[in-house]
Amino acid sequence: MINRRWRMFAAGVAVGWAAMTAAVAADEPTSAAGKPEVSDLDGRIQDVKSEVIQLNRDLLVLEEELLFPANTQVAVFVSMDVGKLFVLDSVQVKLDDKEVANYLYTPAEVQALHRGGVQRLYLGNLRAGSHELVAFFTGKGPYDRDYRRGATVKFDKATDPKYIELQITDSTGKIQPEFAVKVWQ
Amino acid sequence: MRTFLREALGRLAGGAALALAAVVAGGSAPAAAAEVDGQERHVVRDPHFGDSLFYFYQQRYFTSLTNLMASQQFGRVAHHVDEAEVLRGGLYLSYGLHREAAEIFTRLIEQGAPPAVRDRAWYYLAKIRYQRGLLAQAEEALGRIKGPLPPDLQEDRGLLQANLLMARGDYAAAAEVLQPLVAAGKDALYARYNLGVAWIKSGNVPRGSEMLDEIGVLPATSEEFRSLGDKANVALGFAALQNKDPERARVYLERVRLSGMMANKALLGFGWAADALGRPKDALVPWTELTGRDASDAAVLEAKLAVPYALGELEAYSQALDEYRGAIQTFDHESASLDESIAAIRAGKLLEDLLASNPGEEMGWFWNIDRLPQMPHAGHLVEVLALHQFQEEFKNYRDLQFLAKNLRDWAGNLGIIEDMLANRRQAFAERLPQVQVMARNTGIGKLEKQRDELAAELARAQEQSDGVVFADAKERALRVRLERVRATLERDGADPQLTGASERYRRVAGAMSWQLAQQFPVRLWDAKKDFRQLALELERARARDADLARAQREEPAHFDQFAARIAALQLRIQALIPRVTALLELQREAVQEMAVAELEAQKERLTVYTIQARFAVAQIYDRAGLAKESGHAPGP
Repeated sequence: MINRRWRMFAAGVAVGWAAMTAAVAADEPTSAAGKPEVSDLDGRIQDVKSEVIQLNRDLLVLEEELLFPANTQVAVFVSMDVGKLFVLDSVQVKLDDKEVANYLYTPAEVQALHRGGVQRLYLGNLRAGSHELVAFFTGKGPYDRDYRRGATVKFDKATDPKYIELQITDSTGKIQPEFAVKVWQ
Repeated sequence: MRTFLREALGRLAGGAALALAAVVAGGSAPAAAAEVDGQERHVVRDPHFGDSLFYFYQQRYFTSLTNLMASQQFGRVAHHVDEAEVLRGGLYLSYGLHREAAEIFTRLIEQGAPPAVRDRAWYYLAKIRYQRGLLAQAEEALGRIKGPLPPDLQEDRGLLQANLLMARGDYAAAAEVLQPLVAAGKDALYARYNLGVAWIKSGNVPRGSEMLDEIGVLPATSEEFRSLGDKANVALGFAALQNKDPERARVYLERVRLSGMMANKALLGFGWAADALGRPKDALVPWTELTGRDASDAAVLEAKLAVPYALGELEAYSQALDEYRGAIQTFDHESASLDESIAAIRAGKLLEDLLASNPGEEMGWFWNIDRLPQMPHAGHLVEVLALHQFQEEFKNYRDLQFLAKNLRDWAGNLGIIEDMLANRRQAFAERLPQVQVMARNTGIGKLEKQRDELAAELARAQEQSDGVVFADAKERALRVRLERVRATLERDGADPQLTGASERYRRVAGAMSWQLAQQFPVRLWDAKKDFRQLALELERARARDADLARAQREEPAHFDQFAARIAALQLRIQALIPRVTALLELQREAVQEMAVAELEAQKERLTVYTIQARFAVAQIYDRAGLAKESGHAPGP
């Protein structure tokens, strides 16, 4: 009986060591000696994933070319540089006095902006000529006070796509957030 | 139970998170990155690259990847060409698309990307090859890295190299690689852990044990590291038991937390250590504690046998008999529960429930199961759900679900786009005749002729300094009156009443000429400016006219091209839908069978335990029989 129990115990030891080595590399190959590269099913799944990703790219390209052709396209982006003096809640955008976007941000989105992400807030069409964009930023400013500021830009739309970036920056000198509009050339 | 599973999965997710974050964190030149709240911040020079990062940082990798690829197609990430490729390769890798990722990294290397990018590409290629079991090629790729990698990757690189060396049994070399990593940072716990293992396996048991011992007593800052400490202590404890050093084993095993995922193993070993010291009564304490825990754990089932074994050692045969019978009942009950679980899994309940209780927006690498399904005896599944392989297979299943929905959505959206195109084509056909009429009546040619006349007039006026050309309405009216006066004076000049009038006329006419001459430069400048504006407007009108003419000619062809593209894409979607559906079904079966196989193994283990318990019962009866024959009943 004791021998049998010790055999079980020895199995336990093996489990212990296996657990130890398994802890070191989660993405370790199952067999270092050379397992088949991928199972047939796994290979087929990877193929299909790849095809769907390519398909999505082609669909996005088609959608944009059809709905927002380059000669009329206008895109409005939002970016945030540091942004410690302003906690963004929402952005409202008016183009030629018509509201085209009113967006409420989640904490994950604000964090993504902090890290350097740039949100394409609006994609639309505009005729060639002069236009005016007005953006309103709402959130919490210094000392946790409610904060609402606007920024305006007049721009000419020609036959190239027009990219406009709404930038939220910190003015450490003024200890205030600043809101600027950059028109990409 | 959820916490238990989380512990098991935390490290997997953590490792993956670090690796993919490093794809981007290391993507920029040092000058282009800044720290934000301890995280690297990217400086973006193309807004569309920033758009991909926006989704990437939210872990919405599918959107990030497809947006990035569309932007690359449009040529909108010109300032981040290499970075975009590294990001794309990393995202492909995250979806298990090794072939595509390898192609991207290989291309980056071949195209002579900057050294820092090339080094990262070699690193990812090494990682891909390692994951696919191509160990020699992985080592070769690692050897190509020339400079230091970004800090996040540097430790991973060392760990990878050590893993490769350990995989081919060169533990001494692995230890050499790991030593500087350990020396570099006190937080390099995984490196220390691996170094301990490498030393033990290379024969330097005392040094390896010492290293693992250090990890075992280190004050851990996170659950992940506390869990690693528990694992080190359990491993050391069992190693000490194997080396017949139960006293030492107790020291190690005592350090393991009672609530952690290694607790049951530690309690079992702690009991065996007491038993090995000849103290079966002490062994009963951890083992009895263990028998009260969830019976789906192998250590708990083993304790069900260990307790009566210890009682037997203490010659408490009657109690031992009761415990063995109780254990047999438990094993039978567990076996029946396992049958129920297997039936539920085969009925699809497991996957259905896992999907419902572990929602996620997109396909993703970081996504992990952290809730057990709501099904009977879900505890049986803890081990299988915590398996890396199961997680990967289930991720594939979930990814296929996502792809199926993505394709269905696009099939619908493409139908709408098709309708939109048809409406546009119809509207174009309806408006074309009116537009053509309007185009004929714009009179641009006539206006251009007038423009040319004006240009000539302007040139003449400038040449002759003719201020009269620029006279305003009032001046022109005055000039008409003066002309009338001049005519009257010529006709009736002899009239004595007009003697003073001639002089007044001369003065007024002179003043008028002087005024026009004075105003001439300003008026000429204004006129030229107005003329330029007019010419510009006319040019624009001509361009619009040309656009209109071109649109009339080309638009039907554009419509046809779009229609053809839509039809081709629709075909691709319709071809993919059944493939995804079929794979979904196959993968569902594969995942279910993986879970069933684990439960079958648990059943087999129960059968072995039951046989052992019955055998032990028979032995006790034998002893009782022998004792009776010899006039001694079994002990209490």
